[in-house]
This record gives sequence, structure tokens and C-alpha cells, in this order.
Amino acid sequence: MGKEANAGSMAKKQNPVGKFFSGVGNDLKEIGLTFVEGDWKTKVSYLIMGFGPIMRKQFVRGFALLATEVLFILYLVGFGWNYLKDMGTLGTVARVMNDDGTYNYNDNSFLILLYGILSIVLVFVFLLIWRVNVRVNRNEEKQLAAGKKLATNKQDLHSLLDSNFDKTLMALPFTGVAVFTALPIIFMICIAFTNYDSTHQPPTNLFSWVGLENFKNMFSFGTSGIGSTFLTVLGWTLIWAFFATFLTYFCGMGVAIMINKKGIKFKKLWRTILVVTIAVPQFVSLLYVYKMFANDGLINSYLMKWGWISSYIPFWSNPTLAKVLIIIINLWIGIPYTMLITTGLLMNIPEDLYESARIDGATGFQMFRSITLPYMLFVTGPFLLTQFTGNLNNFNVIYLLTQGGPQSMALSNKAGYTDLLVTWLYKMTVNDTNYRMAAVLGIMVFLVTAVISLVVYGMLPSVRDEEGFQ
Amino acid sequence: MKKKVLATLLATAMVAGCLAGCGGNDAASTPAADDAAPAEDAAPAEDAAPAEDAEAPAEDAAPAEEAVEYGSGTIKIWVAENVVEFTQKQVAAFMEANPDMAGYEVSVEPVGEGDAAGNMITDVEGGADMFGFAQDQITRLVSAGAVSPVVGDNAAFVTSENDAGAALAATVGDTIYAYPMTSDNGYFLYYDSNVVTDPTSLEKIVEDCEAAGKNFYMEINSGWYQPAFFFATGCTLTYDTDDAGNFTKCNIDYASDKGLVALKEIVELKSSPSFQNGSSVDNGTNIGAIVDGTWDSSSAQAAFGDGYACAKLPSFEGSDGQTYQLSGFGGFKLLGIKPQEDPGKLAVCHALAQYLTSADVQLSRYTEAGWGPSNVTAQQDAAVQADVALSALAEQLANTIPQGNYPGDYWTLATSLGDDVITGTLSTSSTDEELMTALQNFQDTCISYAQ
Amino acid sequence: MKGSMKTKRAISNTITYIALVIISIIWLFPFVCMFLQSFRSMNEGGGGMVDYLLPKQFSLDSYAFLFSEESKFVRWYGNTLIIAFFVAVLSTMMVLCVSYALSRMRFKGRTVLMRFWLILGMFPGFLTMICLYFLLKQFGLTQEGAIPGLILIGVASSGMQYYVTKGYFDTIPKALDEAARIDGASRARVFFTMILPMSKPIIIYALLTAFMNPWCDYVFASYVAFGYSDSYNVAVAMQRWVWTNDYQGYFTRFCAGGMLIAVPITILFMCLQKYYVEGVTGGAVKG
Repeated sequence: MGKEANAGSMAKKQNPVGKFFSGVGNDLKEIGLTFVEGDWKTKVSYLIMGFGPIMRKQFVRGFALLATEVLFILYLVGFGWNYLKDMGTLGTVARVMNDDGTYNYNDNSFLILLYGILSIVLVFVFLLIWRVNVRVNRNEEKQLAAGKKLATNKQDLHSLLDSNFDKTLMALPFTGVAVFTALPIIFMICIAFTNYDSTHQPPTNLFSWVGLENFKNMFSFGTSGIGSTFLTVLGWTLIWAFFATFLTYFCGMGVAIMINKKGIKFKKLWRTILVVTIAVPQFVSLLYVYKMFANDGLINSYLMKWGWISSYIPFWSNPTLAKVLIIIINLWIGIPYTMLITTGLLMNIPEDLYESARIDGATGFQMFRSITLPYMLFVTGPFLLTQFTGNLNNFNVIYLLTQGGPQSMALSNKAGYTDLLVTWLYKMTVNDTNYRMAAVLGIMVFLVTAVISLVVYGMLPSVRDEEGFQ
Repeated sequence: MKKKVLATLLATAMVAGCLAGCGGNDAASTPAADDAAPAEDAAPAEDAAPAEDAEAPAEDAAPAEEAVEYGSGTIKIWVAENVVEFTQKQVAAFMEANPDMAGYEVSVEPVGEGDAAGNMITDVEGGADMFGFAQDQITRLVSAGAVSPVVGDNAAFVTSENDAGAALAATVGDTIYAYPMTSDNGYFLYYDSNVVTDPTSLEKIVEDCEAAGKNFYMEINSGWYQPAFFFATGCTLTYDTDDAGNFTKCNIDYASDKGLVALKEIVELKSSPSFQNGSSVDNGTNIGAIVDGTWDSSSAQAAFGDGYACAKLPSFEGSDGQTYQLSGFGGFKLLGIKPQEDPGKLAVCHALAQYLTSADVQLSRYTEAGWGPSNVTAQQDAAVQADVALSALAEQLANTIPQGNYPGDYWTLATSLGDDVITGTLSTSSTDEELMTALQNFQDTCISYAQ
Repeated sequence: MKGSMKTKRAISNTITYIALVIISIIWLFPFVCMFLQSFRSMNEGGGGMVDYLLPKQFSLDSYAFLFSEESKFVRWYGNTLIIAFFVAVLSTMMVLCVSYALSRMRFKGRTVLMRFWLILGMFPGFLTMICLYFLLKQFGLTQEGAIPGLILIGVASSGMQYYVTKGYFDTIPKALDEAARIDGASRARVFFTMILPMSKPIIIYALLTAFMNPWCDYVFASYVAFGYSDSYNVAVAMQRWVWTNDYQGYFTRFCAGGMLIAVPITILFMCLQKYYVEGVTGGAVKG
């Protein structure tokens, strides 16, 4: 299934890829043309960025470009190159012990990889800026040739608040995402191809490239591989996400319908009571609920005191019970949220639809099935999809309740029966420092999420048919 | 040489300056440099003052510069929450006794013995300079290079001052890697004498608890408590390690008739309605008896009131009709030192570690926090000898094996086996073949951890 | 006929009321339990778990402990409050910037950027924990510096969460912008003096959700602040009281601490509930 979907997305991407290459071709052509046609200022700018604009008195642009070049060269020579040159081996000299019992730290594979990637990214960014530098020169020459005046420095600066306001606004958020999300993700994808684990832990030890070994391990089904555990965890992850999404959705809608029913008073009070579970931080509420249902917890001891059961119910230690209970407790967390969302939407359904149905003698349930439900599914389709993918990665509910347990000898690498892919990933990272497998698992989580999103998104009625209900 | 010393001095001074600049808020740190008093009034530390260490770092330094030869900087210590204050006090006393080492500012942080190793391995550089940990973590720390070896005089100190088991626990391959702090990491039985009439028989204890509607706690899904059954019937499970902390060989015979008797007993125990999986007095409710360690003695006293009593673990009648005495692990808590780059700091760390694990300090740690000493002199102390919990432990320890080194995966595997019993995958209705398959599986997996 | 309709409705309403009351009890029960247990005396069950609900002896022991010298609870609470405040303000600013740019301006690479961010968002966040830790460490923002570090992490990538706010901006007619621009106002002026004042509900929604997140951040906060208890937030500090054996008998203290966290946040949430509902509803429909 994964393969097919990949092939599908590849086919879709063909077009943009083609576009990209023709774009690069055009760019190269323009760069050459600019050099041939340009004056000496432009030609010097190919080496000394911003030279042309500075000579044309466009100091803001010119110096910005020049500064970029200087900083880039300083970075690469003084810092980046040291790491870039070791990217192939990820370091060769590990920590050594001296005679007096102290240690000398040498190559750090982690930093080599991290800064190596950063340097590669920066090289690309620099090339882009260099390209901008060429274009700026060409445009200025064109403008001058046409007899127009160039924008003044003041206008340049002012444009950052007007026509170029998007650049001002996006600069910080874009950099933030690039450094703190994109870079780490690229880094971790690379880790999936190394042997970075507890026995290859920088700065003490080195790690190195191992190719596809980790992926082979993930999909090997013998005694040493973790393939079967992966499938078990994946299966429960999908089942969980399905129930957590749809049960919460329907129950939430049901509660919303009850509260909105004609003649029911204190609507606001009911809503407020439910919303408490959204307001209280989950680590407080879920940890408490976990203790309530423990074998020796409040619920069991009261049931036993009242004589309803003779021995405790193993809520958390029986895998099936634990799974059911997690889904139920998730209702407790999730219903208020869906209730809030559906309340507003339910009121949007035109009253005359119900009126005419009532005249036709429809019962309440029939009306729900043929009017309310189709409308709601249509409107909240995208919401359900995001809920589903969110639940695939719902760390808090699982981890704060069972921490993935109970474990079994049938599952490897610390996985438990209620582990989701993400909680398993977390355990691998934090408890085992098995980063190599965690990285592979992270890529798998991404693939599952992406495939489901792509497939389902295409099937959503509100996407296929935007006019549908109007 | 001189250049190097100067460089390290400068570097440490800079680090110290930085830290002082942006820190300045830790209530936990000991301002040793300020109130370093003359050495003579610091009696308790006298015998532990590491005179033999002074030669290590900078022998050629002039006597006038004695205060400088260790350099200065910060030392971070991680210990369990309940001895943080105690450790702070002891560190202050140490600094008073050794003004030449008082250039170091020591901060003590509460990091549990369970978390310490994990945190150290995640980031050795960011970790503590000295940290307390339970011995089962030592191989993990050694193979990750997060703990530095104890050699020469220091190693001699470890072997001569502590009981043999403790010294063995601090050893991986042929090298000692830590200073033993306690040898009370074992378990025995706490019980309410109003409920339990005969603490020597497991069957009787369970029966009494059932009759009284009380719970009997034992953490059978822990790799630490679980072997009590297997070792009782005569099974073995040990690993051989080499110097680098790699496991070379696994000695195990769980998949045998002896192992079967033990597993059957675990399954049998679990089937009792009064059985609860757990090993913490305060996290338990309605306790009739519990298998637990000395660290819970005050909680147990509070929970059982006048019924408070301790005993060695009971014996049980196996499915083969024989009677077996529950066994288990005798374990130790250790104090490790992070690999250091600065020789001065390394010397101070070793001196401080020796002091913190010396007889006097172990004894006062016992008085203040109830931790049973590993130091042989301290073990002979009258108060230690008279302690109910500790004597029950001592009695039990005669029946246990000293806990060696186990791979991290073993603990997970043991949890899985225990969980399989708790979840009912293995139950009293399981056939011998099914139980045997589980044991064989367990044994094969254990062997696969050793390369 | 009419009478039977009425009785029918009365019956169905009664059933609904009963259902609502039962639901309310279920929803509030854990919090009531927690409230009651937080007042149990430490002499009773040693502050650990007990198998009954009503304390036999009411006392403020647990609360007193939290505010005493012995515990750094006040500090942890302050840390969390600081993190939550700065993350809320700064990340809302980021989100507003991104939303306005993506909603109102058409620049080169806009759709590529949106698609790229969507793809990034599909990677599980924990994956990059170790990398972020060492990144922060390079800046000295771990352990001692964990609080600014956590703020930085909370804010840096917040631009990716623009969907709800952009959806709201999309509903503000573009004609308004254009009219102002014809009058000579710059983009920035339009943004600051027109769009922002009109977006009060969505700004409050963004602030509120961003403010609530750090209270639950156990995973990353414990990873960044490990071994330095002055930098812990409440979640990191208090989960130990439940999970770690070093902290036996901290159960009532956990309950008390939980109440101290839950009550102010719940009150804040209740006051701003209107905006929250508006935000989630709008966000849900736009997807």
C-alpha cells in the first residue's frame, strides 16, 4: 500500500519536477546572458556581491549583499569547513584517556553531522542569494537603459513595510522553522542511515554511516528483527486512531444535540462543566485518572468494598482492558472538544429542513441520519482528518495513562501492548538512546501520516465538491 | 607543563566566571570558598582527607600556591532527593577540612538513581561530575563511556573499606568504576503482625491476607524482585563482562525443571485475589505484607503502626512438594565520577567521593536517611546492628546472590515475563509445555544479549 | 394529541436531564476526588494512596509543604508561568505575521512554502528531541538556561500553526485593504491599524491556546532541564511524584499541586471560553 501511494505521489510530482529543471535551465541562461551583456560593474558583482548596486549608489541592497558574502566566507573558512570535510567519515579520532586519568575529547560525530548539514544548507542559500545578486544587477541595468531612475535607499527600506512587507513578516518565522524544525528533521533522517545508538554515543564514541542496515532491521521478521513488533504497534496505532476519532466525534455530537435540545435549561452550565477537561492540564488529570484505575486504586477498592467484585479488575495490566479503557478515557478528554465545535455548526443547519421532514413524519433518528449527519460530515471532513492524524500521534493520552504497557515477551525493544508508534519512538529515544531505530521509526510515522492524509484528503466530499451544500 | 596548567586554570576560571554570572540563584550550592574555616575544627573528615591524592595533579607547584593547585570551578553532584540536604552538609564539611580544594563550588541536585544513568548517557558533557546510581546501571555507563575508572590508591580504598559484594558490584571486567555508598539494596518482608501470623511461609501469608481482605505486594514484573523465585529453586542467571562493559557470556538455566517450579509459584501467587504487583509502601493501599527494601522502613512503620514487623523473605512449597526459601538479589548503590578533562578537578572529585563514601559519612547517612552502609567499619556499628529492618535484610542477604552486571535489555525482558503472568497470558491453567516454552524463550533471549 | 406531544417532550427532556446530570458527574468526579485528597492529612496513609475517598482528617499539610522552603514548587510554578507568558505573546506575534503574509500577499514560493510546512508537520515532534537538545546546548540554553531555551523552542516553529488565524483573516473582506491602500496606507499600516484591531477574538484564541501548552510540556522540558531542578516546570517536577519511587508519599502533594495548577487555568479558560469556541469552530470548518 505504501509503495502504491508513493508511486502515485511520484506521478503527481513529475510536473513540478519538470518545471523545476526547466526553471534551472532558464536561470543558467539568464546568468550567462547577464554576464555577457552586463557592464563592468555587473561583471565584478559576479565575484564581489553587491559591487554593482553600491557603484550605482544603491547602498542598502549593495551592502546587504556584500555583507552576506563576507559573512558566508567567514563562516565557511572559520567554522563550516572543519565539519564539512569530515561528513564522509563522521570523525575518525574518538575520546582518548591520558595517563593521569583525564580524558581528551576529539571528534564529535554528532556536531560534524549537524554542522555539516547546516553548511550544505547554507551553501545552497548562498547560491540563491548570489542568484538574486545577479538579477538585481540585471534589473538595475535594464532600468537605467530605459532611462528610469533607480529606487532610492529610502524607498528600498520603505518597501519592506509595503510591497515587500511579506519578506519582513516572514523573515523570522521562516528562519525559526528552518533552524528548529527543518534542520533537525533533515538531521534525524540522516541519523536513520548511521549507527548512532547507546554504544556509539558522541562525544565519547564515534558513529558512522551504515547505509540501509537500520531499515533492514526494522523489516526483518526473525528473532533478532523488530518487524513483527512494528506491525503489532502499527496495527494498534491505526485501531486507536480510528476509535479515538470517530467515537469521540459521534458521542460529542450526541452530547451537543442533547444540550441544544429545545426546552433544556442551563445550556451554558452543562457546557462549562464539560469544558473543564480541556482547561485542566492533561498531565494533572490523566495522571490522576491513571491512579484511580490502578489495581489497588480508588475504583477497584470501592467496587470491592461494595461487594460488586471479589478481586480487583486489572484495568491496566490486561492488554485488552487497557486498550478499551484508554479509548473510554479519551472520550472523557475528547467529547467536550467535539461538543464545542459541533454546537456552533448544528445551529447553522437551516431549521426549515427539519420542519419539512417533521411534516413528512420523520422520527428524530431519521432526521439525524438524513439531515444532520450528512451535513456535519460534509462540513467537518477536514477536521476529522486532522483529528485522525493527530490521534495517530496522540502521545499524552497513552503515555500519561499506561506508558505503553503492559509489555510482553512477544514484543521487542520495550514496546508494550498499548504503545503507539510515537510513544515507542519516545521510549527508544529517552530510555534506550537508540537513536538509529528511533529515526527509522520516525520516518515510518511520517509515511503513515502522509499516506493517510493524501488518500483521505482526495476522498473528502468538501474538497471534491466545494459547492456541495450551498 | 606550566603552559598547560595556566591554560586549564584560565579555562576553568572563565567557566566559573560564566556560571557565576548567569547562575547566582542556586540555593543548593555550597559557598565553600567563603566560609572555609581553618582545618583543625573539621574533625569528622580527618581520617578521610585524601592526603595521598595531593600528589596527582601539579606536584611541582610551590607550597605557597597550595590553594590554587587544584584550580577552581564547579562540581555538580546528583543524588536521590532524600539525601540532597545531607550531601550538601557533608560537602560543606569536606570543604572546610580541605581548604586547598575549596576553589570548587559544589552544587547538589536531586536526580533519582534510576534517572541518573539515563541522563548521563544522553549527554555526558551536560551530566553531573559525580552521581549516585544503582549498580544495575554500571555496565551501561561503562560502555557509553560516562563513568571514569577508579585506579591506584582509590581502587585500594574501595576494596579495603567495603564489603566484598559491594566492591564486586563496582567492578566491570577487572576495573573498578565507582565508590560503593550502600549495601542495602536488597529486599525482605515487611508485614503487619496483626494480619500475618506466620511470616515464614508464603502460603500462610497469602492466606492471612486473603482472610483479612488485605493486599500482599510483590513486584513480580521487575527483573530485580522476580529472581527471588528462580534463585530459590536453584536456577542461575549471571553474565560475564569484559573490560569495555560488553557482555561476553550468559550463564542461565531457567528453562529447566527448577525454573518451571519457580514460574509455577509466581503464577500461583498471582492467582490470589490478595496479590498486588508493587513494591512501594506509600503507593500501595490496604497493605497486609509487602516485599520491599530498607528505604521504605519509615513509611512501613507509619503504615503498619504497632503491627510493624520485618522478616526475611518466606519460603514456599513448590509444585514438586519441596520447600524453597525465597532468594533474590543483594544490591548496592554506587557513586560514580564523570570522565574529566582537568586533572585538578578529577583529583578533587575522587577525594570528595572517598569522603562521601567513608565510614563516618556512611554511618551518619544511615542515621539521617536510613541507608544501610557498605563500609565494613560502619556495618559493625551498634545502631546499625540493632536496626530491625537492616537485620531482617542481613538475614535475607544470607540467602541471596550479590547482584552482578546485567544488560539493560534483561530488565525489560523480565518485565515482559512478569507482565505475561499479570495479564494472564501465563496462568494457573497454562500447561507445563506452555510455561516451558515461555521459559525457553526467556532463556534464549537472555543468551542472545551476550555476544 | 397536543397533550400527548407535550408529555412526550417532557419525558424526553427528563431523560436528557438525567443523562446530562450523569455526564456532569462523570466529568467532574476525578476533579472532586483530587480536591478531596489534596486536603488529606499526611498522618493518614503517609501522604500516599489510600483506598477511600473522604479524608478522615482534613488538613492543609500538602499545601503547606508546597509553599514551604522544603519544596521548590513556587519556583517551578513561576518558571512555567514565565514560559507560558512569553510563549503565548511571542508565538501569537509570529502566527499573526505569517497569517497576514499568507492571507493577503501573493509572493513567489508561497504555495511551495505552505506545502513544505505541511510536510514538515507530519514528522513526529519527538523525533528531533535529541537534535534540538544539542542545538540549544550550543547556545547555552539547556539546564541552567533551560527556561529561555524552552521559550525559544516554543516560539521558533510556531509560525507553522497559522491555519486557524489565516482562515480568520481570509474572512475579512479584501476590499477593506484595497480601499485603505488607495488612500495611501502602506501594507504595514493596514496590518497594524485595520486588520489587527478587527481580529481580537482570534488573537485571544491564539494567546489562550499558546498559554496553556507549556503547562503540559513534560517531555521536552524534562529533556532540556534534566539534572537542574531550578529550571524545572511544574509538569517535569510533579510527574516524578507519581512515577518515581524516590518520591513515595507524595500523592496528596501531587493532588494539591494539581489543584493549584488546574484552578487558575480553568478560571482563565472559563472567562475566555467564548473566544476559544469561536477559534476552534472556525478552525475546524476550515480544516
